Amino acid sequence: MFQVADLLVMALTPMVPLLLGAVGEIITERSGVVNIGIEGIFLLSALTSAVVCFYTNNIVLALLVGLITGSLVGVLHGIISVYLRGDQIVSGVGLNLFAYGVGVITLITLWNTFGNSPPVKTVPKIIIARYPVSPLTFIAIIIAVLAWFFLFKTNAGLRLRACGEDPRAAEAMGVNIMRVRFLATILGATLAGLGGAYLSIDWVGQFTKEISAGRGFIALANVAFSNWNPLLAIIGAYIFGFFDALAIYLSITSTQPTLAYLFKVIPYLGTLAVVAIFVGRARIPAALGKPYIKE
Amino acid sequence: MLKRKISGWRIIEYSSTAIEIIGSIGIGLLAGGIILTLLGYNPFEGLSLLLFGGFGDIDYLLSRATFIMMTGLAFAIPMLSGFFNIGGEGQMYVGGLVSLLVAVYTGNGILALIVGGLAGALLGLAISALKVYRGVNEVITAIMLNWTFYYILIYLITSKFYDPLAPHESVKVPALARFGIIELGGSRIHIIFFISLALVLLAYYLLFFTKLGYEIRVAGLSPKTARYAGINPNRAILYSMFLGGLFAGFSGALNVLGFTYYIDNLLTCMHGIGFDGIGVALMGRNHPIGIIFSSIFFSMLILGGQTMQIVINAPKELADTLSGIIIIALALPYTYRMLISYIRTRRLVGKGVSSS
Repeated sequence: MFQVADLLVMALTPMVPLLLGAVGEIITERSGVVNIGIEGIFLLSALTSAVVCFYTNNIVLALLVGLITGSLVGVLHGIISVYLRGDQIVSGVGLNLFAYGVGVITLITLWNTFGNSPPVKTVPKIIIARYPVSPLTFIAIIIAVLAWFFLFKTNAGLRLRACGEDPRAAEAMGVNIMRVRFLATILGATLAGLGGAYLSIDWVGQFTKEISAGRGFIALANVAFSNWNPLLAIIGAYIFGFFDALAIYLSITSTQPTLAYLFKVIPYLGTLAVVAIFVGRARIPAALGKPYIKE
Repeated sequence: MLKRKISGWRIIEYSSTAIEIIGSIGIGLLAGGIILTLLGYNPFEGLSLLLFGGFGDIDYLLSRATFIMMTGLAFAIPMLSGFFNIGGEGQMYVGGLVSLLVAVYTGNGILALIVGGLAGALLGLAISALKVYRGVNEVITAIMLNWTFYYILIYLITSKFYDPLAPHESVKVPALARFGIIELGGSRIHIIFFISLALVLLAYYLLFFTKLGYEIRVAGLSPKTARYAGINPNRAILYSMFLGGLFAGFSGALNVLGFTYYIDNLLTCMHGIGFDGIGVALMGRNHPIGIIFSSIFFSMLILGGQTMQIVINAPKELADTLSGIIIIALALPYTYRMLISYIRTRRLVGKGVSSS
């Protein structure tokens, strides 16, 4: 019983990138653009934050650089998908590969290692029930609530959603589709950038070449699970984060070292099972992934 | 008159394809040069090693091309039916492991190859079935399964099927079940390259000369038209993912049965080959014959990266970065088309001005 309580608190740690990535992606997808490069943004932002933190020891600056890294990737993906009408999925796949390569190259160039960077300073933690929890957990939840308010309670949010549901009607309303989509892509990528920075300079305390380990795609699963609603994404992130915590907990307490590899499967299979069971109800934004062509 | 018009369009289409591919490679190399310069290497030396360094070992070049030729098909065939198979990596892992076990327990290489391929095919089918019947996004399913099988393989190799004499390696494929090496004009080439060429031709035949291939291609071009013609687009997707998984499975099986003869406990012999196949398929325009050439090109990059690392000590992962950039550039056919039409209009306008 005690262990279950431990796990419930532990799940607050892995949920952060899953929540930030998902909320960002919800904003982007609600405007009609798909970005499956969240994984790559996680990697790149984790990398730049760790590098800045290593050389300056300044956490705030490192977080900021992680955010900006995300924004820049958002600008790139936005130009490609909105203005150049590129294939959004293909661009995302390329981005993920690119990010992986850049991560390894930087590790080799700066630190002459192939797998992980030296340890860096991390965000100070709050203690909850014996467990350290990052303040970013609460910031992420607040961001999710704000995103929900923005999307569903403001005029600007309505316009953004119109771009993803019926761009022609939105244009008739006087919305500049291209600009809204471009900005939504940048905003979404920026939030993912914060998630990436969290990975290296808050949770893990160093950069490793596989630090995101599919979490960008679990965040995508969370988007579908939450039905493109940032409030439900909080619950989704917690559930998916719980699988991650469970895997970590079981590998720490296991007596057989090889079993740890088997436990690592839990977050991925768990995510897949949850999505396969619940996603039938999901309703995708009607114009998602289709470039807008002005008449 | 009409005939001439059609052939004219064809020429424009071919030339725009060529411009897209050459443009993407150009963008990739330019970015590679910039990165090399930033890292303090001579970009011209680095890039020439990256492009041509792989030719030092033709056999390795072609073997490496074999694996990504197969994972290229694994991406291309589902793409033709409109399905995005990013799970070639996991399907390849499963194919590799199953073929290893079949080879170890039966000693029959051909049987191992076929069963390995089928194992990949079943996994591919499962991904498409989740999409068709449950509406689960294939990108999510595929990535989750890639990671799942990555760790399952590592677990099985470290705890069950390890070689007692070399604990970082799996049990070995028995000598009788191995695909060997043949002499060809003085050079020794692994047989698997020729097997994969035959498999590509088989894919070409299936896609362009059978009803099955026709259904897959029509479903991809327009699900509405397909339905109107009595083709069930969902069934076409299931077929295409069965085939895609089959070729991914072959990639793993050919790797294990005909090149490494075992799987190492970190999966380094297979890791990333499924993702390389995406670039191969995109550059080969999802066409089996195109994929033969693009697989050799990407194999050049991968091996060239290794040569570059040895000669000037620049990180070989530059090849990964470059293929990422090339893939991003390949996502932009509309841009190239705009560029071509812009240049053509300028030329026409220029002519009009000078003649009048």
